[in-house]
Amino acid sequence: MTAVTFTETGPGRRGDSFLSVQDLHVSFSTEDGVVKAVDGLSFEVEKGTTLGIVGESGSGKSVTNLAILGLHNSEHAEIGGEIWFEDQELVGASRGTLERLRGNRIAMIFQDPLTALSPFHTIGRQIGEVYRKHKGTSKREARDRAIEMLERVGIPNAKVRVDDYPHHFSGGMRQRVMIAMALVCDPALVIADEPTTALDVTVQAQILDLLKDLQDQMGTSIILITHDLGVVAQTAHNVLVMYAGRAVERGTVREVLGTPRHPYTWGLLSSVPRLGSSVDVPLKPVRGTPPSLLNPPPGCRFHPRCDYRNLVGPDLCSTEQPELSPERGHGDACYLTLQQKQEIHTQLMEGR
Amino acid sequence: MSIRKRSTVAVLAVGVLALTGACAKGGGGGAPANAGNPSAAASDRGPSANTAPKITIGTAEDSKGPAIAPEGVVKGGTINQIGRDDLAHLDPGRIYSNVEGNFALLFARQLTGYKRIAKNDYKLVGDLATDTGEVSDGGKTWKFTLKDGVKWQDGTPITSEDVKWSIERLFASYSTEGAPYVQQWLTQEDYKKTYKGPYDGKHLDNVETPDDKTIIFKFKEPHADANYALAMTTYGVVPKAKDTKEKYDKEPFSSGPYIITNHVTDKSMELERNPHWDPATDPIRGAYPDKWHLEFGYQALQVTDRFIADAGDDKKTFSFYTSVAPERLQQVLTDPSFKSRLMTQPSPYTSYFYFNLDRVKDIKIRQAINYAWPTKQMQTIGGGPSSSVISTTILNPTVSGFQDYDLFGKKAKPEGDIEKAKELMAQSSNPNPTLVYAYNQTPTQEKMTVAIKTAMEKIGIKLVAKPINPKIWYDSVTQVDNGFDLYWGGWGADWPTAATVFPVLFGPVTDGAQNISHLKDPEITAEIKRIQGLSDAEEANKAWGALDKTIMEKVTPLVPDLNDIANSLHGSLIGGAEIDPMSWVVSPNTIFVKQ
Amino acid sequence: MLRFLTRRTIGAAFILLIVAAVTFFLFFAVPADPARLACGKVCPPETLAQARHNLGLDQPIFVQFVEWLAGIFVGREYEGLGHCPAPCLGYSFVNREPVFETIIDRLPVTLSLTIGASVVFLIFGIGTGIVAALKQGKPLDKIASVSSLVGASVQIYFIGTLAMYFLVFQWQVIERPRYVPLTEDPIGWAYGLMLPWVVLAIIFTANYTRMTRSTMVEQLGEDYVRTARAKGMSGRTVVMRFALRGTLTPLATIFGIDLASLIGGAIITETTFSLQGIGRLSIQSVTNSDLPMLMATVLLAAAAIVVLNVIVDALYAVIDPRVRLS
Repeated sequence: MTAVTFTETGPGRRGDSFLSVQDLHVSFSTEDGVVKAVDGLSFEVEKGTTLGIVGESGSGKSVTNLAILGLHNSEHAEIGGEIWFEDQELVGASRGTLERLRGNRIAMIFQDPLTALSPFHTIGRQIGEVYRKHKGTSKREARDRAIEMLERVGIPNAKVRVDDYPHHFSGGMRQRVMIAMALVCDPALVIADEPTTALDVTVQAQILDLLKDLQDQMGTSIILITHDLGVVAQTAHNVLVMYAGRAVERGTVREVLGTPRHPYTWGLLSSVPRLGSSVDVPLKPVRGTPPSLLNPPPGCRFHPRCDYRNLVGPDLCSTEQPELSPERGHGDACYLTLQQKQEIHTQLMEGR
Repeated sequence: MSIRKRSTVAVLAVGVLALTGACAKGGGGGAPANAGNPSAAASDRGPSANTAPKITIGTAEDSKGPAIAPEGVVKGGTINQIGRDDLAHLDPGRIYSNVEGNFALLFARQLTGYKRIAKNDYKLVGDLATDTGEVSDGGKTWKFTLKDGVKWQDGTPITSEDVKWSIERLFASYSTEGAPYVQQWLTQEDYKKTYKGPYDGKHLDNVETPDDKTIIFKFKEPHADANYALAMTTYGVVPKAKDTKEKYDKEPFSSGPYIITNHVTDKSMELERNPHWDPATDPIRGAYPDKWHLEFGYQALQVTDRFIADAGDDKKTFSFYTSVAPERLQQVLTDPSFKSRLMTQPSPYTSYFYFNLDRVKDIKIRQAINYAWPTKQMQTIGGGPSSSVISTTILNPTVSGFQDYDLFGKKAKPEGDIEKAKELMAQSSNPNPTLVYAYNQTPTQEKMTVAIKTAMEKIGIKLVAKPINPKIWYDSVTQVDNGFDLYWGGWGADWPTAATVFPVLFGPVTDGAQNISHLKDPEITAEIKRIQGLSDAEEANKAWGALDKTIMEKVTPLVPDLNDIANSLHGSLIGGAEIDPMSWVVSPNTIFVKQ
Repeated sequence: MLRFLTRRTIGAAFILLIVAAVTFFLFFAVPADPARLACGKVCPPETLAQARHNLGLDQPIFVQFVEWLAGIFVGREYEGLGHCPAPCLGYSFVNREPVFETIIDRLPVTLSLTIGASVVFLIFGIGTGIVAALKQGKPLDKIASVSSLVGASVQIYFIGTLAMYFLVFQWQVIERPRYVPLTEDPIGWAYGLMLPWVVLAIIFTANYTRMTRSTMVEQLGEDYVRTARAKGMSGRTVVMRFALRGTLTPLATIFGIDLASLIGGAIITETTFSLQGIGRLSIQSVTNSDLPMLMATVLLAAAAIVVLNVIVDALYAVIDPRVRLS
């Protein structure tokens, strides 16, 4: 892609968002057919902010983020759309370009630090090798850097523990190691894929605090993938709600959690217990099951599970796919009018 | 394992050596090694193949060197030999097996030996001795005179003292492997009890050396064929001055045409000419190649494939004892291009299916079984007529005095004469007996057993087959109280007279002895004794030949087994190669390398 | 580690002692008498007794065993043959050569055969396994799968004999296998053993291809491999340093077994290619009832298995730090 076409095709590059995902499609060919895991997703992340991506399992959260890193196997996955990161288009980028970015400018923190860390290598080596690879330093320097990072993420006695293996650490400590590894090259963007799911609640909080602190110190942008709205509320600036491979709602934390507009978001929120709410009011999970991505429902993908589709009209929900609107700010993909949305939400809140 | 078949059968025949794995396959009746190949190409074999060799006693003139050269002989060059196993013994006194004995012709001489006159025509002649000995005292005293010019590899003359020493050292404790005959005749049956060897200065006084050239043996009893016995490798000469006892087995001092210059156990051996060997003194050994190079460790299949390919140095290569591998036999027998390189020779060893006379008491049943015997089927199982010949006698045709007869019409009706057998069974004491047949548990023997069982069923005999581990075969059947009615056994004569056949096969009945049919007929025993006492070899041979038929007529203690045929290839630049009809190994005496 | 090795060494020694004892006593349980082999076919009792004495078989079996055992540590005196220094495994009943020297002489053949073939089949097996794993479902993977199936289903005596027949004898494209000591002529050594190596490799490669492929596929799906890629590690590093590492444990297991069986069971290979190694020695010793040689070859095979077992176990700990030696 030349510089000229770059400016021309630049619609994706807006404002100062340094990560911009435009109309991302990810599909996998399987024996049963093509699975459209992500289908026309667009979002942006601004520098120094945290974007929380929320959704059920299989909604395409992780797939999206693996696509950013180019970690999908090109033999099986077909990726369309554009991903712009720091003036660089990633979907069509060469392997070398991606390798230079990964771990360096964009780092990833995985859900289960036990399996995500190599059991065969010391943590010092696993952290150090990222540094060596991208900064071209000596082993010695890499090791010192690893110790420094371990200290920074709060591993006690880092000088000694640098030579330990992952199985020598507790779950929380392991996640700290993961974080140290992710941050060792001072990345501009950290993608944290359910970083706290495998941890118990107190440790969760510590880890989230740690991420926040580090963000404050280093100005890192974070994409936080989670199905836990509590985590999002605590950590994120912006939220993207995904359903069946598409974004259904987007906005700031305050907007989305405060005045959610999409029936799916309502469902998600109502399935979260709240402090102070009455104990006898049962939690309401979203009824039904997530759709098959092999053969997604026509129209709004949520319509088979949606209680409000009759309010829209006879067929619209099941025929026409709603787009996220408005294009900027707090947007959602639903045919209900803004007013209907506000009313229903208010009713729902009262019911709790 | 079949590779070593020829030596195997020799060893096998020995009986006591049944332990060797080689035997495991060979043992147990019939022609096991060449299995898997039907009768094709039998007619391709020359008519000479089945002609029994003639072995007579030569004169002093016959005993003069040099050996009769084969047609087109070329002297010089290096000849290669490949085979599976190394020679276990090089000390002539510790050599008994045919393979080692044949090989020892290259470096050890005896008082007498066998001279090849022509194909299948051999004469017992003087080797170191000027003739085949002078017998007196009714066969008890044998006198030999050494030739002039017979020397050790260091040029010192071979003396009668050396010959005497060579006999005496056989009594020493380390020497247990050799043949026992001469020692026994000089002392007693259990000869090691009488005399402990010459190393402590004691000597045998019935071996006299009145001068350097004369040696006189004075036996306790007449032994008409002592000159045959003395042709055995065991009685090869060992010099007193170079006798290193146990170690001599590794470093023999040559009296023959070659000296072993290098020997890597189980791998290779080199021989070079002995400059002090004079062909003019040697009527037996042609010694045509300048050098011998032997390599060990090759399986039959590879040996065969090398000969078939006939490439490079393999053209100048032969094998002492490796038969064509069964897998390739068909190809070799049917392709005429191999004919000029194929050596064929029936075995000089014999084997039998013995009746346990203590259990199968009715001769009518024994004869009925002989009539009904599925000879033809067994021949087919064993590889067809190119792998074995039908035998109808106790003696092997190579044995002097052999008289052919076919009491049960096996040659006329090789598939068995069921009618005749049924008739005999009807007249017998028990027309429907149950017999226990012990057999060697090998694949070939399993098949043979089925054939025998089927044949026996036809005449009303129920055969109970008892498989026996080949390793303990002889230990089982040589038990007097073995509990079997019918079982296989093999034997080989130590020299081509029946003197080491009948007295052994129908001798004493004890555990471990070879009279496994348990024949105890006083008349036959007396006749054996009488013939043993005869001083005229010619007369004895005739009497043995007649006794063969008498035993079969009068007692029928066995069913003669098929006689194996060896088929071996050699390289295309090898001449004069022939399987010796007595040792069943390729003779080193006539072989040469074409240029 | 040291404690582990000490304990396992003691255990191994104990196992070898039991193997030795069982072999020794089983040998005598078969009513086959090696002394009769050393006595002519017409064998008078005194001669047989002498032969038995010469072989040391005239003593009680237990005494024989103890003497044999003691010989290994302190050497033995042999009448007429002289002193046999420790480690003395006795003299062969058949050729009266010192067994220890014969073993030392033959061992390099078997080891060369084994190690050379191992190098070839490990390289090819693991290599094709990796390629197949990376190219799952692609023609290359299918070729590797099919050829490994073919390889796994052929036997050495089949393919070895075939190779000998065509390559060596019929077409004469390669010389007969032979052993030249490595120290004498490294090129000749490799050339002489090339055919057996390749044939052994064809058979064993299959196993390693399949094992590597399946474990590799599994490993490539592991989170930590994904992490490695997410860290920006190059494709080669990911495969070689991360994914391969995880396949090493199962590979080490089967390699340990294969190596032991290659050393202990060289019989067929050595017979097929007419090489004079331990395998041939062992079959000879069985057919000849050569007790001292039999003991040595059995013990060597057992030692190979036991020692490789310990090594493999120790190797687990080296490969996978999660494994604790205890």
